[in-house]
Amino acid sequence: MKLLLLGWSHRASAAASREALAAVPVERVLAELKSRGVAEAVVLSTCNRFELYAASTPDAPPARESLLNALSELAGADVRADAEAREDAAAVAHLFGVSSGMDSLVVGETEILGQLKTSYEAAKAAGMTGKRLNVLFQRALYVGKRVRSETGIASGASSVPSVAVQLAESIFGRLEGKSALILGAGAMAELAVKHLVARGTARITVANRTWERAYALAARFHGEAVRWDAAAEALVDADVVIASTGAPSAVVTRAMVAAALRRRGGRSLFFIDIAMPRDVEESVHELDGVYLYRLEDLESIVAKNMSERAGAIAAARAIVQAKAAEFDAWARSLSSGRELSLRHAPRSIQS
Amino acid sequence: MIAQSALSWSAFALYTAAAFAALGYLFSKDARVSRAMLVLLTLGVVLHAAAVAVHAAAFWAYPENRWFLPLNNFYGALSYMAFALAAAFLIVEARNRLGILGAFVLPGAALALGAAVILADPQVQPLETPLRSYWLNLHPVLLMTAYAAFANAAGVAVALLIQERQIKSRKPTELCYRLPSLDELGGLNAKIVASAYPFLLAGLVMGFVWAYRDWGRVWTADPKLTLSVLTAAVYGMFLWQHYAGGRRGRRTVYVSLAGFASVLVTFFGAELLSGRHSYLGGGR
Repeated sequence: MKLLLLGWSHRASAAASREALAAVPVERVLAELKSRGVAEAVVLSTCNRFELYAASTPDAPPARESLLNALSELAGADVRADAEAREDAAAVAHLFGVSSGMDSLVVGETEILGQLKTSYEAAKAAGMTGKRLNVLFQRALYVGKRVRSETGIASGASSVPSVAVQLAESIFGRLEGKSALILGAGAMAELAVKHLVARGTARITVANRTWERAYALAARFHGEAVRWDAAAEALVDADVVIASTGAPSAVVTRAMVAAALRRRGGRSLFFIDIAMPRDVEESVHELDGVYLYRLEDLESIVAKNMSERAGAIAAARAIVQAKAAEFDAWARSLSSGRELSLRHAPRSIQS
Repeated sequence: MIAQSALSWSAFALYTAAAFAALGYLFSKDARVSRAMLVLLTLGVVLHAAAVAVHAAAFWAYPENRWFLPLNNFYGALSYMAFALAAAFLIVEARNRLGILGAFVLPGAALALGAAVILADPQVQPLETPLRSYWLNLHPVLLMTAYAAFANAAGVAVALLIQERQIKSRKPTELCYRLPSLDELGGLNAKIVASAYPFLLAGLVMGFVWAYRDWGRVWTADPKLTLSVLTAAVYGMFLWQHYAGGRRGRRTVYVSLAGFASVLVTFFGAELLSGRHSYLGGGR
């Protein structure tokens, strides 16, 4: 088999070409390539990369120039100069690296698996995949999952809101039926609420100095807006409190929290303070069953997670290389007439 | 005798290996380690059951022992508790899939059986006359079942304290995301104590009834008795705080751990002081 990869990634200085290519619907690219006689092709188009995988038999290799010309025509721009080209084993290793998240901006992110799957399914629906690309892409998805489960490349949350949600789950378990109190109606707070709601947090209460903004934010999450002076009372019912007001000094004092604690029946209380200057007095963290995380605490957890992910890249690369070599041997065996078997097991090459 | 010794030593080895696998799983993410723990533990429980059967057969070979359970000595008691502990963990694991808690529970099972095989004398003898009573089948069995459950709860409580410290530190490690949440651990701790508590009370009441039948009075100045009542009081306080007072968190967990400390003193310590409960004299 001959496999050719043409790629415009977030690494190469190919932003202009990438944007031009990303504007073309994948279906149109596939249809155009088909009409030009390309037998097998998968197009991966995301915000960070545009990649074309084309396969053919060894006697009729995909013509790089004609593919580049076709893509340039589609994009309405000359994309030929800044394309990265890879062939065969190198292309397979690259694809497996992509599916493993090694090549992503946020190392180890899992969104790329879904994007790969969609790309592959689009190509399949267009009748552009044969045995080789079918096996290659199913293999890529499998390697991506396996690398994530066997190495630390996807360990730990990679953003401040997802770290906050993870901590909330370490305190409360499932977040279904929990309630969140939002102090201040800023954009950062909204992002955090979105994450909590996605995990099932049921009741959202918003308190803000400007009633209209509190009301607007609460309405977006089917929550309830309360007057600013009712915030202390709202502490009694809340499980998670997200504070992001622009107040010049702390709006949640130790005395307020201690008073609320007496009426909470021992339930834990989780404060996320993303305001600057701070909204919640630091000494609140000393109270039993109260956990106060400030923005920099969450940020340093993210930083630690990301450096752990980066440390796992070598191990991920070893798996990717081994799996790519395995696939390459299988692909070669197709044309020799004695097909090797390729299984999703640890030792997958048997002759 | 040799068969019993071989079986219980093998079970001890398997429990120990399972405990190490559980500790290993705590610090590695490898699900295979967790599966290995379950296999080792299940094998251990099977061999242990066989050892108990051999022990019982030898015990029942004395006609006067025929109708009683072989729990009259240190060996029988410890062996039963280790068995109950391991079996209770398997049940909790099957229902809640919290394999990670093995690290906090299985060392207890291994220690209990280890104490039985290393320190206690498995020799069986005809029961002394006062012990030939049906109450022997009830009073110690109920109490030891409760103790094994309390040991499970104590493991959960330790996990809870570790998790609490993780979150309070603001620098949670991988462990934080792998342990169950504070709420789950707190709920599980209370649930186990609550389900074992009736056994503890029933066991105590049986003891009182037995004492009244044999000696004509309920209360004797026996350290083991006093400590058992203390245990019941401490766990009672914990349950009251949790369910009636709605209290959660670190402080109430300390109360449940104090209850378990009292169990340990009752079971091991009182031997040094107690006359009536000196059946544990089987130590070497």
